[in-house]
Amino acid sequence: MGESLPKGLNELVLEQQFALEDVLDRRALPEFTRSVEALFGVSVRILTSAGTILADAGELPSLYRLYQKSKSGRLRLNQTISRVLAARPELGRITTVPCVSGATYFISAIAHDGHILGRIVVGPLFVADEPSTSPQELDVPEILEPELLEALEAIPRRSAADCENILQHLGHTLDVLLYSGFKAHLASSMHLSSVRESFRELSEKNAKLQLAYDRLRELDRLKSNFLATVSHELRTPLTSIIGYSEMLKEGIPGELNEEQAEFVTTIHQKGEQLLELIQSLLDLSKLESGTMSLKKKDVDCGALARDVALTLTPTARKKQVELTTEVEANLPAFFGDGERLRQVLLNLIENAIKFTARDGKVHLMVRLAKEASDQAEGGGVVLGTLRRTVLEFMVVDTGIGIPDEQRERVFDAFYQVDNSATREIGGSGLGLSIVKRLVDAHDGQIYIEPNQPTGTRFIVRLPLRRTS
Amino acid sequence: MQLDFATKQLTIKLVYYGPALSGKTTNLQALHQAADAQSKGRLMTLDTKDDRTLFFDLLPLTFEDRSGLSVRIKVFTVPGQVIHASTRRLVVQGADGVAFIADSRLAETDHNTESFLDLQKNLKGQGIELEKMPLVIQFNKRDLPNVRSDAEIREMAKMGREPVYLGVATRGLGVVPCFIGLLHQTWRGLEAAHDLKGKFGFDGSSFIKDVATKLGDPREISDILGDSAGGGASHG
Repeated sequence: MGESLPKGLNELVLEQQFALEDVLDRRALPEFTRSVEALFGVSVRILTSAGTILADAGELPSLYRLYQKSKSGRLRLNQTISRVLAARPELGRITTVPCVSGATYFISAIAHDGHILGRIVVGPLFVADEPSTSPQELDVPEILEPELLEALEAIPRRSAADCENILQHLGHTLDVLLYSGFKAHLASSMHLSSVRESFRELSEKNAKLQLAYDRLRELDRLKSNFLATVSHELRTPLTSIIGYSEMLKEGIPGELNEEQAEFVTTIHQKGEQLLELIQSLLDLSKLESGTMSLKKKDVDCGALARDVALTLTPTARKKQVELTTEVEANLPAFFGDGERLRQVLLNLIENAIKFTARDGKVHLMVRLAKEASDQAEGGGVVLGTLRRTVLEFMVVDTGIGIPDEQRERVFDAFYQVDNSATREIGGSGLGLSIVKRLVDAHDGQIYIEPNQPTGTRFIVRLPLRRTS
Repeated sequence: MQLDFATKQLTIKLVYYGPALSGKTTNLQALHQAADAQSKGRLMTLDTKDDRTLFFDLLPLTFEDRSGLSVRIKVFTVPGQVIHASTRRLVVQGADGVAFIADSRLAETDHNTESFLDLQKNLKGQGIELEKMPLVIQFNKRDLPNVRSDAEIREMAKMGREPVYLGVATRGLGVVPCFIGLLHQTWRGLEAAHDLKGKFGFDGSSFIKDVATKLGDPREISDILGDSAGGGASHG
C-alpha cells in the first residue's frame, strides 16, 4: 500500500534529486547575469554541474573575435573553453583558470544544502596588480599588433578582492534564487502529490461505493424477481377460490340461503380485490425488471379519456364528487399502448376521486401542448425548434393535496403520504408508482403541481412522434 | 533514512506531529533559534497568509560525527488542520522518528487524542506499527491556564512506553530536550536496524552530546534525557 503513494517529498528533500535547471529559469536567468555584467563590467556565465551553460556571457571579448579569424587562434580559444568547462571548484573555494589572453577566469561552485549543483564563471579579467600581456607574448602573427593591443586593453582589470566580492555576491544572490525556486518547486510538487493522494483516496471510496451500489441493485433485482414469482404463485390458487366462490354464488352445487349467499359474495369480492392487488404487484415487478412489453398502435386519446371518465362516473357519483372531462378537438392519434394508457388515466382519476371530499371536483383535460426539450436549458434555442409537441393529460382535483416535499416520493412503490389517511381511504400504494413507470415506458413525463386553492394537478406529457 | 556510503552521508527524517495549533512550527522555530549557525540551514515554511502551515515546515540540520560521517537531519512538521489529511500522510512517509506535540490545555484533550489516532492510522497505511516508531511526546503550552497538571502528566507518563517532555515552545523551554530525546530514540532504532557503529564507527552517544552542545545545551546526555516527565523507563 505504501508503494502506491506518491513519493514527491522524500525524493525532493531526502534524495536531492533536483538540478539547477529545475529551479532556475533558463530564459530569465540571462537577464540577471546581464544586469550583473552591467553593474560590475565583467562577463558572467552560469553552468550546471554537467557543464551545460544556463546563462552565457552577453558579449565576447573583442580579442576572441580576432582569434576566431585564424585557425591556430580558434584552436587555442577552444582549449581555454575546455579548461573552463572542466574546472571543478570545491565548495567555498575559488578556482582560477588562465585565459588565452593571459587574463584569468574565476570560478566558484553553486551549492544547495551541501550539494554542488553548478558553477559561476566570472571573467576573463586581469587582476589589478598583475602586468598585462603584451601582444608579442600572445604569439599570433596572423593578427596585427595594434588590433591585439586594443583588444587586450578592452579586457577589464579588477583587484583580487573585487573578484572575490563579485563571486560572493553572485553566490549569495543565486542561493536566494535557488532557495526560492526550490521552495516553489517543493510547494508545487507537494500540491500535486496531495491532490494525487486525495484522488487516490476518493477513488478507493468510489470503488467501495460502486460495489455497495452494485450489490444493492442486485438485491433490488432479486426483490423484483421474488415479487414476480410470489405474485404469480399467489394468483393460481386465488383463481380457484374466485372461480369456486362464483360457482357457489350462482347456485350451481345447490341453492344457498341468504346468509350463505352473503358470505360467499364477500369471499368473491375480497378475492377479486386481492387479485387486483396481485396484478398490480406483478405489473410493477415487470415494469421494474423491464419485461413489460407494450402493444403499441395508434390510440385516439380523446375517446380513451371520455371512456375512462364514463367508467368512473358511478364511483364519483357515489362519493358525490363532480367529474368533468374536456377534450381538445382534432387531437392527433398517439402511438402507444392503449390498455396501459387507460390504466394510467384510471389510476390518476380514481386517486383524485379517492382523495377528494364530498362536493369536490375532479376535472380531466386532454390537449396538445408545446414543451421545451431538455436541450433548451443548455442554450441553443436559436438553432431551431427545440420545443416539441406533446399530448397533455391533466387531472385536477380539489382534494387534500400533496405537500411539496412529498411530491417526488409519491411515485415510490408502497409509499403513501399519510399512513393514517391510507387506513381511512385505502389503497396499496402501488398505483402511482405503476403510473410513473408506464409513463416512463412511453418516454413521457409526469409532474405534480398544487392546485389553487386546494388540491393537486397531475400532468402527464407524452411526446408525439415527429412527422416529417 | 538515506545512507550514502560513497560520500559517508546519513540523512534522517524526523517529523513533528500533532493537532492544529499545538505549536509544532513554534518548536521548529525555537530549534532553529537554538542551533549554531554552522549546523542549521534555512527554516523553510510553506504556510498560508494567516501563518497556518499549509504543506509543512522543514528545518535542515547538519552535523559531523567524529567518525567522519555527515549526518543530515531533516525536521518536518505536518499541517495540523483536519482538512490536510493527505498532506500529513505524505509528510509522515519515511519518517525515522516522530515527536508528538500535544496541547496541554484540558479543553484540547480530544484534539490530542484524535491527532494521535490519525498518526497511528497514517503510519499503519504505510505498513508501520506505531509501537515500532521511535516516539516522544511533548506537552506544550505549559504556561497557559487550565492545563493538565505536571503531577498528572507524570503519573500518566509512567504507563506509556514513550518519553514525555514538558515545554513552552514560544519561550524555547523544553524544546531542545524533547528534540534530543527524539534523536536518542531514533538513533537507538537506527542502530538496531543498520549497525551504524559497526559500519562507520558511528558513536551515537558522543554524536548526540555534540548535537546538544550545538543546540546550546552542553549538559550530559543523561541529564538532558532526565528532563523527561517520565515514560520510556523500561527502554531507558
